Amino acid sequence: MRKMTEERPASVGSIVQTPAAAPLFIPPKRRFLELREQPSPNRSLLLGALGVICFFAVWELGHYLTDASSRRFVPSVENVAAALYRLFAEQDFLTDVLVSCRRIFISFLAASAIALPIGILMGCFGNMRALLNPTLSGCRYLPAASFIPLLLVWFGPTDTAKIALLFLGVIFFLISLILDNTNAVQKELVEASLTMGASRRKVLTGVVVPAAMPAIVDSMRNMIAVAWTYLVIAEIVGAQDGIGAVMMRAGRFLSVDVIMASILTIGLLGVITDLLFRAASRLLFPWNIERRS
Amino acid sequence: MTKIASLHAHASYDVGHAHPVLRAHRISKEYVNGTFTALDDVSFELKENQITAFVGPSGCGKTTMLRIIAGLEHPTRGRLEVSGKPVVGPGPDRGMIFQAYTSFPWLTVLENVEYGMKIIGIPAAERRERAMSFLKLVHLQKFVDSYPRSLSGGMKQRVALARTLAQNPNVLLMDEPFGALDAQVRWEMQELMIELIEREKKTVVAITHDIAEAIYLADRIIFFSRQPGRIKADINLDFKNGKRYPLKEELIKLPGYVDLEYRLFAMMREEIRDASSGE
Ligand SMILES: Nc1ncnc2c1ncn2[C@@H]1O[C@H](COP(=O)(O)OP(=O)(O)O)[C@@H](O)[C@H]1O
Ligand SMILES: [Mg+2]
Repeated sequence: MRKMTEERPASVGSIVQTPAAAPLFIPPKRRFLELREQPSPNRSLLLGALGVICFFAVWELGHYLTDASSRRFVPSVENVAAALYRLFAEQDFLTDVLVSCRRIFISFLAASAIALPIGILMGCFGNMRALLNPTLSGCRYLPAASFIPLLLVWFGPTDTAKIALLFLGVIFFLISLILDNTNAVQKELVEASLTMGASRRKVLTGVVVPAAMPAIVDSMRNMIAVAWTYLVIAEIVGAQDGIGAVMMRAGRFLSVDVIMASILTIGLLGVITDLLFRAASRLLFPWNIERRS
Repeated sequence: MTKIASLHAHASYDVGHAHPVLRAHRISKEYVNGTFTALDDVSFELKENQITAFVGPSGCGKTTMLRIIAGLEHPTRGRLEVSGKPVVGPGPDRGMIFQAYTSFPWLTVLENVEYGMKIIGIPAAERRERAMSFLKLVHLQKFVDSYPRSLSGGMKQRVALARTLAQNPNVLLMDEPFGALDAQVRWEMQELMIELIEREKKTVVAITHDIAEAIYLADRIIFFSRQPGRIKADINLDFKNGKRYPLKEELIKLPGYVDLEYRLFAMMREEIRDASSGE
């Protein structure tokens, strides 16, 4: 290296020549399908919006491509938007939405209150897992909808029956997920605190639970999405109020626009719950936020 | 590195009054219902303030032995005593540093160091003060309020070191604590280690498979052979003349360094050859 610089004439005459800057390196063009490329937040937002627009565009296209005679069964985006407006403005849809939200909320709260201790206990103690897991994980295969007749016999067409169904649809999966989350806590964290003299209880409450919590909240976020998907099935049980009841009634009158408006509403509520869970997770676990590099 | 150079006057350490800090008597450990012997009749004593390195090929039972000392596992046979009392489980008298990072990610650096002291019931004010002083010792005073997630591997191990030392354990156990670090950080950590042990006067057992690291850190090297795990050699590093050398280059200059390194490499070679011809 040194030799090369010595050989190059540093100056010509008395004028000191500053060497020209090396040519700019022109990187190859980034392709749309660049492997492992992480788009910027703005770009993500833009692409996300584009996806939503495409969704509505395809829907709208579907409406206009349908034969005029049956077009009323494939309402356009405007039809559904109008139906949604009518629902809220004229038919007190807000009450139904709130009733549904309340059912989801209560059933999910109950499911979490039971799944958290059981799941954590099973994730922590092998004997508890051996005792309970075969039964509880077996219960996941009992289809929640098949409980409808049973719940009707027990509770009649009441709120309780609906909440119980939502509860049954979620609880066993939630326990299973929380078990896995707890079990996945890094072994060395537990051992480190044991070697520092922590008691069993201290290890459980001071290490296992805080270590597993972010993953558990994530599991809860995923399971509340499942609860929303059970909502309509639950509200068929003696349909009186709630989004599901509105849909069943609309079905009887072939009001496809109302049905679709309701489906859209449930989807939107699901998305909102998801966002709330994500925000809560960021607030509760600031230590877990990925650093931007 | 100036602070280490200031230690230049070789600190000497005094090992060995009558009472061993730790006594392992005829320890055996069998796995898989006795069909696999990880440790076979291993006995040794650790003297106060002595740094012992466990060296040997992988799978020779170093980790098993250390975990038995920590109380995280029980021996199948034999007896283990710390300060004259039998070991029945883990306890704060034996601090352990793992190769995996064990800082609690939901606690700040300061809270992590305080955690261990809280467990053993040190009052809050003293806890805070002690944690700060140990964080200064491991050069993390600027990161007291950071979460471990934002720290490098070397920094995380320094948190673990501060957390463990702040509990003031009788014995410090380390299982390849710098194994996951890159060469330069590893080197810095080794020098920091010497400085800290010198200061805190600890009895230490450190596992390493890095021969140079063992010679640099240890006063004594216990070399394990494998299958079954036995003590192949128990070497006092007499060539150090009872001193510790914070500067590696000075250690290497000493007569006897190369001989020892040669001997350890030869033993390691023997183990590896036996293993490959045995199968
Ligand atoms: N829980 C266990 N069950 C069965 N075998 C084990 C277990 N832990 C360690 N061993 C075996 O014991 C031997 C010694 O392991 P270890 O102490 O980790 O060795 P080292 O740390 O020296 O590499 C290895 O052959 C390992 O496979
Ligand atoms: Mg090991």
